[in-house]
Amino acid sequence: MRKQESLTEHLDWPLFGALLTMLLMGLATVYSVAYNEEAPSLFDFSEKYGRQLFWILFSLFLGLLVFLIDSDIYRKLAIPIYASTLVLLVVVLFMPAVHGAHAWLGVGSFGVQPAEFAKISTSLLLAKYISGLTVKQQTTGTVLTASSILLIPMALILLQPDAGTFVVFTSFLFVMYREGLTFDPILLKFVNAIPGVRYKETWVGSHFIPILFALVVLSVVTLLLDSVQFNISLFGLDLELSGSSGVIFGLLLIYVASWLIMQRFSTRRERSRMMVVLTLGLLIGSLLSFIVDKGFDMLKTHQKDRIELFLGLREDPNGDDYNRNRAMAAVGSGGFLGKGYREASVSSVRSNHVPESETDFIFCPFAEEWGFVGVVVLFILYFFVLFRIIVIAERQRASFNRIYAYCVAMILFYHFAINIGMNIGFAPVIGIPLPFFSYGGSSMMSFSVMLFILLKLDAQRKDVLR
Amino acid sequence: MNLDARRNVIISFFILVIGIYLFKLFYMQVIDDTWTLRAQEIAEKRKEIFPPRGVIFDRNGKKIVTNQTYYNLMMVEDSIVDLDTAAFAKLIGWTRQEVRNRFKEIVDGEGSYYNKISRKRTPNYQKIRAYPFLKELTLEEMSKIAPHLANFPGFYEEATSARNYPYKSAANILGYLSEVYREEIDEDRFYKPGNNIGRAGIERFYEKELRGVKGIKYIVTSALNNAIESYADGKYDTIARQAAPLKMGMDVVLQTYGEELMQKKKGCIVAIEPSSGEILSMVSAPSYDPNLLVGKRNISANYPKLARDPNLPLFPRPLQAEYPPGSIFKLVQSLIGMQEGVINANTGFPCDKSLVGCHNHPSARNIAEAIQYSCNPYYYMAVRRIIQQGVKKNNFADAEYGLNKWYKYIRSFGLGDVFDTDVSGQRPGLIPNPAFYDKWYGHHTWAFSTIRSISIGQGEVKLTPLQMANIVAIIANKGWYYTPHFVRAIGSSGSLPQFRKKRWTMINYRHFDAVIEGMRRVVNEDGGTGKQARMDNIIVCGKTGTVQNPHGEDHSVFFAFAPMKNPKIAIAVFVENAGWGGSWAAPIAQLMIEKYLKRKISDKDKETRMKEAQIAFINAD
Repeated sequence: MRKQESLTEHLDWPLFGALLTMLLMGLATVYSVAYNEEAPSLFDFSEKYGRQLFWILFSLFLGLLVFLIDSDIYRKLAIPIYASTLVLLVVVLFMPAVHGAHAWLGVGSFGVQPAEFAKISTSLLLAKYISGLTVKQQTTGTVLTASSILLIPMALILLQPDAGTFVVFTSFLFVMYREGLTFDPILLKFVNAIPGVRYKETWVGSHFIPILFALVVLSVVTLLLDSVQFNISLFGLDLELSGSSGVIFGLLLIYVASWLIMQRFSTRRERSRMMVVLTLGLLIGSLLSFIVDKGFDMLKTHQKDRIELFLGLREDPNGDDYNRNRAMAAVGSGGFLGKGYREASVSSVRSNHVPESETDFIFCPFAEEWGFVGVVVLFILYFFVLFRIIVIAERQRASFNRIYAYCVAMILFYHFAINIGMNIGFAPVIGIPLPFFSYGGSSMMSFSVMLFILLKLDAQRKDVLR
Repeated sequence: MNLDARRNVIISFFILVIGIYLFKLFYMQVIDDTWTLRAQEIAEKRKEIFPPRGVIFDRNGKKIVTNQTYYNLMMVEDSIVDLDTAAFAKLIGWTRQEVRNRFKEIVDGEGSYYNKISRKRTPNYQKIRAYPFLKELTLEEMSKIAPHLANFPGFYEEATSARNYPYKSAANILGYLSEVYREEIDEDRFYKPGNNIGRAGIERFYEKELRGVKGIKYIVTSALNNAIESYADGKYDTIARQAAPLKMGMDVVLQTYGEELMQKKKGCIVAIEPSSGEILSMVSAPSYDPNLLVGKRNISANYPKLARDPNLPLFPRPLQAEYPPGSIFKLVQSLIGMQEGVINANTGFPCDKSLVGCHNHPSARNIAEAIQYSCNPYYYMAVRRIIQQGVKKNNFADAEYGLNKWYKYIRSFGLGDVFDTDVSGQRPGLIPNPAFYDKWYGHHTWAFSTIRSISIGQGEVKLTPLQMANIVAIIANKGWYYTPHFVRAIGSSGSLPQFRKKRWTMINYRHFDAVIEGMRRVVNEDGGTGKQARMDNIIVCGKTGTVQNPHGEDHSVFFAFAPMKNPKIAIAVFVENAGWGGSWAAPIAQLMIEKYLKRKISDKDKETRMKEAQIAFINAD
């Protein structure tokens, strides 16, 4: 029997305070953007701000419930929670489509999105599974199991379809990376099949996820530069370089720079190993860039159009790119100090220039009203939350808690990065909310519960003896 | 493997992304103003507010040009819900097919623009934009439609302003407005497509003075293009200001009366106040109601009719009909002769019909009599003295010398060129100079005998009625004139500076008395050709003329000013194909003078006779 403690004794006040600040900022922004002169009261529940206030209060109530429950339950019940979420994800596919997606479970406006809660249950199960592993135990089976914990809900979410949440699920890959989950067992099967090759571990396998990420970024950069022509005058030679050659040139520069740095700072043994990595990286990167460049040229026009639009290479202000163009206009017109609270002319709900400006595009009115100064404040707040979660993660005794905390950090970061990227032309428009800001019950509840579970786990961290 | 180091990878990743985002946001929000401009384009509409045009008063403060509210029936396709075409067509009095056609017409017409680069009409129709479905409805028409518009969402009324001419006269003076051309918009950013611009007359000449200052209202609009609120509480708005009124020298009562007198006739009347050069009246007959050319609907309906009318109502006769001046030129020749010293007030010449034809009258013993009798041989001889002064030995060279002198005198009367004035559409007329004849006949191949017809105002000489009326004003003033003009004041500032400059002829004032005496006799002595212009109590000085017309009956012409002392009005009357000057032009001139000076007509019979006469006027069908 533990001593009965006060609920808030081990609460991480900095994180909790940052959460409350965000909720208030979000509510203020929703109030501004959806302001209705005829119902100016914040407590008018027929208006969006009234409902948002309700959702915030309800989420805090859920948080209280989470704090009343012993945190051990999450580890213990991770599998049933995950399983029931999968059932809901299947059931939701048979629900009538809203805006072309079978994402909503429930009646009328009071529906929930199982995909929101799938993030929590997947985090819990992943934490439970990985915390039971040790690095040396890793086999093909463990890698595949860990991957399928992600891939099953991802597949179901893709069927809805909900591209946004699907992309968010890839954030778990970084958690796996942090926990040292290596893809070596799979990779070694292929590599060691080559006669005479016998590796115990590969650099690529253990850093598989960042490498994958880097390659995706490299491909996108290649495409972004595809339309650009570089004219370089070199020793009297006029060279015209296409996008991919620019990327390859850039890689070469990095390669040379790294080589020079290594000559100066590293030991001989490290050097030879890193040279292999760098050279391979250069070759693979260049090859990929070349293939992407040529492959893109071979695509049909309409496919190219879609990709160019997706990447924001083409301006089509009244067509497919309407939302992003309007959103960027709203954000960009904010200036340094902003237009002032409730002065957003582009992104208010009434003017309706930016669709969904109270939900997915809530950053627009915020940035328009508070300008760059407001944006910096928001970014600092977000970074503080993320950093604080990492700090919390690293102080956990139980690896379950740590892994779960990383899951929360990565999910919040993904939402933050994609949502704001959408508003500034860096990310395609896939509908995902800005946590604690965007209007909407499902996301508010799921993010709050997710964070309160973390706070509860942290509050009870000392109970865990393992 | 040190996995703890990997948290730094993740934190670095966070910092990297947040850093890149902040960099981009700083660029978007603070450095680059592309998006600010784009936001303005999207959400802030500059609504330009055009003030009503300036009004115009006549010389007695009567409002002759005002503005009237018209209505456009606007349409926004996106807001139209289940349009009952049949009911709508019935409401506006159209057929269903016409309604359907109008929708198509809007898409192809108002909904497109001329692309300068591709040189094609480019579609730009937007369902969320408002287009006028019906234009320029009167209050009466709109009041029938407006109460039912609630049944037709997507349609609404919008007020616009258009000209109104309460006196229904002076169309030829005032001009009209019509929609601006693309080139005019490119040239002057004041205008927007669909705006009106002064197309003729006063409306054109004083366009910049009348259009006023447009206001700009910045409003925040929604994606559906509805105005939501004024931007920044109207801090940047500017207020539209109506132009100051124009005050014309015209007497609208006289103008309207003149048009009535000239109805069913062709011709013109020009009346000038000699002391100021202000044009009191300028009738171009047949005239038309200026309200016929208000608004696009009216213009497209009425302009072709007016243009096709065989009586040429759109032809500005006072400015563009160039006639040989005839007898009035004798007045000018007398003055030049006296100034040159080749004749004097008491010079007499026998009426020698062998030189040039004349009617039966006693020989003129002095200039007054020569004018009274309008003696042709007298002027043949007098002008020969001007042209052939015997200065040069060579007869041809002598004629060239004389004509040059004569030309300079004539030019000092403002003849041979257009006046620099607010009367637009003038023709210069023609005053021949030596160069003209050199070109015609060859250098030193012509002498007075060749060009003698100019002595009695025939032959090559051509003047417009405005120029002839100005000659009368010069005689009334005894030697000077102000440029004839319409507008005496723009707001509180006076008329244009060129109207305030007194212009002197090369004739000394002493020489005018003989001419004026002759003109007095024309009207007031028994046997004078202009006795039809005689008035009780007021001495009218006049001169009849008959302009020979090779195409038919001669034109009846009369010039006069009155009263003899301190003249208030100088007038020229032309009645086409009406025979000699005394018959129609003189009585009309008399009625005009009486109307202007006394406002009452003593001889009602004469007035009725003049009004009802139909001369050389082609009835429609």
